[in-house]
Amino acid sequence: MDFPSTQFVPSRMMGTYEPIHQIGMWGENFKSIGNPSISASVIVEVDNKLENESETASHEMPAPSCKHDQEASKPFDKIQRRLAQNREAARKSRLRKKAYVQQLESSRLKLIQLEKELEQAREQQGLYIGGGLEAGHLGFSGVVNPGIAAFEMEYKHWMQVQNRQLGELRTALNAQISDIELRIVVENGMSHYFELFRMKSTVAKADVFYVMSGTWKTSAERFFSWIGGFRPSELLKVLVAQLDPLTDQQIFEVCNLKQSCQQAEDALSQGMEKLQETVSATLAAGQLGQGTYFPQVAMAMEKLEALVCFVNQADHLRQETLQQMSHILTTRQAARGLLALGEYIQRLQDLSTLWATHPREPA
Amino acid sequence: MQQAIPYKSWPLPCIDATSHRARSTTTLGHNGRGKDVLNIVSENAVIVLARKGCCMSHVVRRLLLTLGVNPAVHEIDEEDEAGVLNELGTICKGTENNKMVQLPAVFIGGRLFGGLDKVMATHISGDLIPVLKDAGALWL
Repeated sequence: MDFPSTQFVPSRMMGTYEPIHQIGMWGENFKSIGNPSISASVIVEVDNKLENESETASHEMPAPSCKHDQEASKPFDKIQRRLAQNREAARKSRLRKKAYVQQLESSRLKLIQLEKELEQAREQQGLYIGGGLEAGHLGFSGVVNPGIAAFEMEYKHWMQVQNRQLGELRTALNAQISDIELRIVVENGMSHYFELFRMKSTVAKADVFYVMSGTWKTSAERFFSWIGGFRPSELLKVLVAQLDPLTDQQIFEVCNLKQSCQQAEDALSQGMEKLQETVSATLAAGQLGQGTYFPQVAMAMEKLEALVCFVNQADHLRQETLQQMSHILTTRQAARGLLALGEYIQRLQDLSTLWATHPREPA
Repeated sequence: MQQAIPYKSWPLPCIDATSHRARSTTTLGHNGRGKDVLNIVSENAVIVLARKGCCMSHVVRRLLLTLGVNPAVHEIDEEDEAGVLNELGTICKGTENNKMVQLPAVFIGGRLFGGLDKVMATHISGDLIPVLKDAGALWL
């Protein structure tokens, strides 16, 4: 971003010109000379010098040494001095603006550079970003929350293990392995989900909004999100269709489970609504528009702590539902169920990718 | 047909006059906290002890209501909380749960049942309704 060294456009109509190389001089003047009045006079001096160099005839600016004809030129002097001062102010303002814009542009370039470096570093470490740097990851200072960074790394690894386990399930179901061996595969699958709930609980303490918004998940998964994850009753609907044939007793038990899930979900949803009402009421307490509001915000923050409980309770519900399903189903059915669930999630993820990449009509 | 038997009404130690809550909710006054808690717990088939304005107690209450149970809800002021929890701790030492009582705490049939975790887990496994029926909180 080099400025041409000496380039100015004399404009006699305006009575001004823009010596761009003067920016450096301004900077030096302002830096080295702390006294503004002195720098102002320096500017005036410089300005006079340059003007004297460029102008030949019809010199508008009286030289400071030109003191004769004072009687006749007093009002003329005053006007000219005022005009000159205006020109000074305008010039200074233009230069300040230029300096500011220059700063902005270089900061922007630096930001782009930093973002690139960050992405490269993360890819090297195997971090899953989930759609570029989102504002939600960055704290106030622009630094990524370490709890979130750790979770994203763990989640990427979790997905890899998940995909491997799904492959094992497929192989196990097609091969003729014993129920005992199949049970182990099923238990591994279940434990893997429980591990995810533990991970989520940890990161919820670091940033509950991160979990609530499902930032680490793909867009289609987020569409179905309920308190930071799947609705257990929705999952049951998907699973049951895949598990035919079920005995009558199993159908009865699954129906009960679905109903219990629904009731528990409704209770949690209503609790969430109550929390929203409470936070909103706390935040809006007192008069809005007065300007001072920090006590309200601090109190609202306290109430918002309950959100962590909700995330934990929702995951607890998911875990209990999975456990109960594994009690109702045979080992083989449970294996098919886990596979179905895993593949359903994969389809959601593929849907997200497809959606993001399919060409759209230009606006 | 059997008639529905209403809950035995319990003497209220101190009613908060400005309370907007449902009739079954009370707020403890500043006198005699522990003993009143014991009384209230034993006199109700189902009662939820909770902090004031706790959203989790709302969740428990909504769930129980869905099942057909109208639980008493007893709200505890922040300053009384420690005293009440202490008192509950001494009651519950006799039972299996040696853990600290957490709020909201659900009592069924006069005994500590557990927190929201326990209620949810028990409901999902299908065991909550039988427990409620045993305690006389639910009729067919």
